[in-house]
Amino acid sequence: MNSEIPARTKVALYGLLCVLLIPFVFPTWWMVTSSLKPISDIFVFPPQFLPTHPDWSTYKQVFTIQPFAQQYWNSAWIAAVVTAATLAVSSMAGYAFARIRFPGADALFIVVLIGLLIPSEVTIVPLFRMFLKLGWVNTHWPLVLIPVFGAPSVFATFIMRQFFIALPQELEEAARVDGLGRFKIFRTIALPLARPALASVAIFTFLHSWNLYLEPIVFLSTPSKFTLPQALTQYTDAYGGPMWNIQLAAATLTALPVLIVFVLAQKQFVEGLAHTGLKG
Amino acid sequence: MFHRKTPAALRAIAGGLVLSLALAAGASAEQIKLRMTIWSANEAHLKLFNGIAEGFKKENPDVTVSFEPLPFETYTTALTTQIAGGNAPDMAWIFETAAYDFVNSGALVPLTKTLAAAPGYNLGEISPAATERWSRDGVLYAYPFSTSPFAVFVNNDLIRKAGAKTPAELIAAGQWTWPNAIATAQAVAQGGKGGLVVRDFNYQAWQYLSSVWNGWGAAPWSADGKRCTFADKPMVDALTFIHDAIFVKKAIPGPGQNVDFFAGDAAMTITQISRASLLPKDKRFDWDLVPLPKGSVGDYAIVGQAGIGVLQSGKNSATAAAFVAYMTNPENSARLAQFFPSARKSLLNAEVLAKTNALLSPAQLDKVVVSGIATGKVMPAHTGFARLQQMARSGLDAVWQPQADIPAATRAICGQIGPLLAQ
Amino acid sequence: MTRTPDDPARGPPPDAPRAFWTMARRDSLAGFLFAAPQLAGTLVFVLVPLGLVFWYSLHEWNVLANTFNYTGSLNYEQLLGDPSLPGVLLASALFSAGLVVLNMSLALLLAVLLNQKLAGIAVFRTLFFSPVVVSLVAWTIVWGFLLQHNGGINGVLRLLGIEGPNWLRTPGTAMLSVIVVQVFKNVGLNMVLFLAALQGVPRELYEAARIDGAPRFKQFRRITLPLISPTILLTSIITVVGSLQVFAQIAVLTQGGPGVSTTVLVYYLYQQTFQFHRFGYGSTLAIVLFAIVALLTLAQWQMRRRFVFHEQ
Repeated sequence: MNSEIPARTKVALYGLLCVLLIPFVFPTWWMVTSSLKPISDIFVFPPQFLPTHPDWSTYKQVFTIQPFAQQYWNSAWIAAVVTAATLAVSSMAGYAFARIRFPGADALFIVVLIGLLIPSEVTIVPLFRMFLKLGWVNTHWPLVLIPVFGAPSVFATFIMRQFFIALPQELEEAARVDGLGRFKIFRTIALPLARPALASVAIFTFLHSWNLYLEPIVFLSTPSKFTLPQALTQYTDAYGGPMWNIQLAAATLTALPVLIVFVLAQKQFVEGLAHTGLKG
Repeated sequence: MFHRKTPAALRAIAGGLVLSLALAAGASAEQIKLRMTIWSANEAHLKLFNGIAEGFKKENPDVTVSFEPLPFETYTTALTTQIAGGNAPDMAWIFETAAYDFVNSGALVPLTKTLAAAPGYNLGEISPAATERWSRDGVLYAYPFSTSPFAVFVNNDLIRKAGAKTPAELIAAGQWTWPNAIATAQAVAQGGKGGLVVRDFNYQAWQYLSSVWNGWGAAPWSADGKRCTFADKPMVDALTFIHDAIFVKKAIPGPGQNVDFFAGDAAMTITQISRASLLPKDKRFDWDLVPLPKGSVGDYAIVGQAGIGVLQSGKNSATAAAFVAYMTNPENSARLAQFFPSARKSLLNAEVLAKTNALLSPAQLDKVVVSGIATGKVMPAHTGFARLQQMARSGLDAVWQPQADIPAATRAICGQIGPLLAQ
Repeated sequence: MTRTPDDPARGPPPDAPRAFWTMARRDSLAGFLFAAPQLAGTLVFVLVPLGLVFWYSLHEWNVLANTFNYTGSLNYEQLLGDPSLPGVLLASALFSAGLVVLNMSLALLLAVLLNQKLAGIAVFRTLFFSPVVVSLVAWTIVWGFLLQHNGGINGVLRLLGIEGPNWLRTPGTAMLSVIVVQVFKNVGLNMVLFLAALQGVPRELYEAARIDGAPRFKQFRRITLPLISPTILLTSIITVVGSLQVFAQIAVLTQGGPGVSTTVLVYYLYQQTFQFHRFGYGSTLAIVLFAIVALLTLAQWQMRRRFVFHEQ
């Protein structure tokens, strides 16, 4: 916007940004430092910004109190499978709705969009009964099938469609003239060009699956099958009182890897999102 | 389990019968796996249960029993969701507050026949008062394996440091009343530690406040469950007293404050005696166990109960019922009694309890446990309890504010739950 | 299969036998096949459940007793007479309104601030975005913990000499707390979208306006806002729809309390269905939720004619 910013404004700007940053960064800081404090130090006044008696045993207890490693693996592999499958389903559907004129395409797309309007809480009961009849309650199947084929993937399809519409058609038209089949065109020309959109779909989908909370608590009842968001709320003592420092240690373990990946790949993250084609 | 007087010959024949039945079931006898959901993840408890399961396995080699702890706070919801999801356990612990719902729904297997038939079981020594909530039309649907009186655990170190009178001293002087208890708590709270903690209440599970308001003769609804009595004078008086203790005297920690007695952070806590297993093993502080303070209606006692039920939807309900009979027979009841006081009359004396309960003194056991069970009222319950609980809970939030109009709040609660109770 | 002619644009020669699998037909088939997984999924996991939800709302389903009885419109009558419902709808409206306003204005503000050529601005951008990738439940638990009466936030306030309220247990502040927690979690997403939109506005327009002497604020109102209005519309639709689905935060922070001040429709649905096991009534609430979401989205989409700038 401006080429020359006076020094005073620069300082004011930095200052304002730093102040605004506090509620974004402080909770993460508090989470990490409190996970190392003994419980009695957590609520102490004046608040400790750094642990005075670091207690690393909380991290060990995270794994002994619950099958946390197993739960971590559950969340990870479910999210990975859901992301891969969603990329496949949504890119194909998005491409079809963008490029291919087949009978009823417009009407069918609107029908698909209905999925965006339906919160998962609305359909959770019949879905529960459906999976109950199949005997798949307390398994991971619902946590994979529902996001990939149901409402959450509609957003992905929408993004892919927007992207393909905006993509110039010349390369594909030339390929069609050469007699190439649709699938080959899709695979060799359209898909490679769709990397930014695929990246943002992958990010959205992974985060959505990683954070799923309602579906796991409805479908899963065995702790060893739990996913991370569910597991985090279970760090209570034998009679239900929360064990704050251990719970925060588990929360740190949940958040930190994703944060680190994000920091390393943040350019791709942010630019992928910017290229969703939502600019209009 | 065979009675000691059974002649050896009969025992041998019976043993042979069991063995041949087992063999007849097939050379590769089907492994029966039974699952019981519980709400305690306490290691000492689990060791005890697994030990009992091992004992059952000795006589029934193809039956394996496992215990699945579900989180205490959401136990009933999680259990019902398991049932709705077709994943019902074979046996389940049931809270006394959910008893009516489970017993009246037909979800449980009637147990009277199995229990009465088990050799040496002696079903008759369990009082009707204890089984009232767990029976329908004279048939028992869940066995009350734990009748646990509420008592006050005391941290004498904190009290002496604050210069206040300990409960033991007050009892000796015949002055162990609620106002005095709160005064002691207040003194400790002024020193920065917690005063009196009603454990498990947490400003959500209000049914635990019955350990306090019963002292005023208050109750959430009438004895037949049809009329709301939240707005009646005893309850309003009790709530006013409690409100004062929280917000004016600061003797009871306020909403959102987490204070743990067993970590040594509070002067007193009201909870069931099974929590004795949480006392620090290293005797970090000088603790005591006393009965509840006297209320305006005099001495009173309150008990919580827990029942074990066998679910109809399980595949092996007959075997499960047999296990329940085994787990709660006189011998095993005595072992369970160290954490879960039994309703059996023969076990309701201090010597028996002291044998298996190393932590409490005979005097404590007698004053608290035995008389508590004998005279105690069970915590409030009702059909459709989950919904009533939630409605009363949100209504009571208006009471847990510094400025509260208690009569208006309780009238509002009755307005909400009255129609449901009358159904 | 007959081979297609060399130039598909011309179609098959008039005397040649009519091929079934023309290029156009093969293309259509490909289209169906490509979209088939998504379409089948929508049918099975969206449309059929929606129909079933409506079907359940006409029944009374008792899980423990294992009964499923037809009751017709009884659940809907109960809905109209439900004394808790107005409060629940009000809570939902307050929550969504508060969230959307706070979220969109903060996102726009941050985007404008970050759209400067300053050293290290990318670091700020990353930090503002970081809560988006932190696990939702983890974020909520940490905030829940900070908002305790004797927690971190009141601790800091006490250092400044202010006595903070019991954030999560006082009716007004509980709703505010839940809104704020959600806003700070997700505003980074909208911020990035607005940033991309801002960077798409041609520089020349601002230059021209500057030469004409227009003040900054007028530039913002007359140039920036109209040109990013498509993004504003789309993000507002997404944010509104998202706000009606907020569940985890309320379950973890307030459990719908104090009183029923934070019991939004989605949470009320969860209580009725999974805590009180009234599956029939819960389904009725689900239909209401769907109707509200559909109406709001339609209303916002219609607004695009009036408010969204079209570069014609």
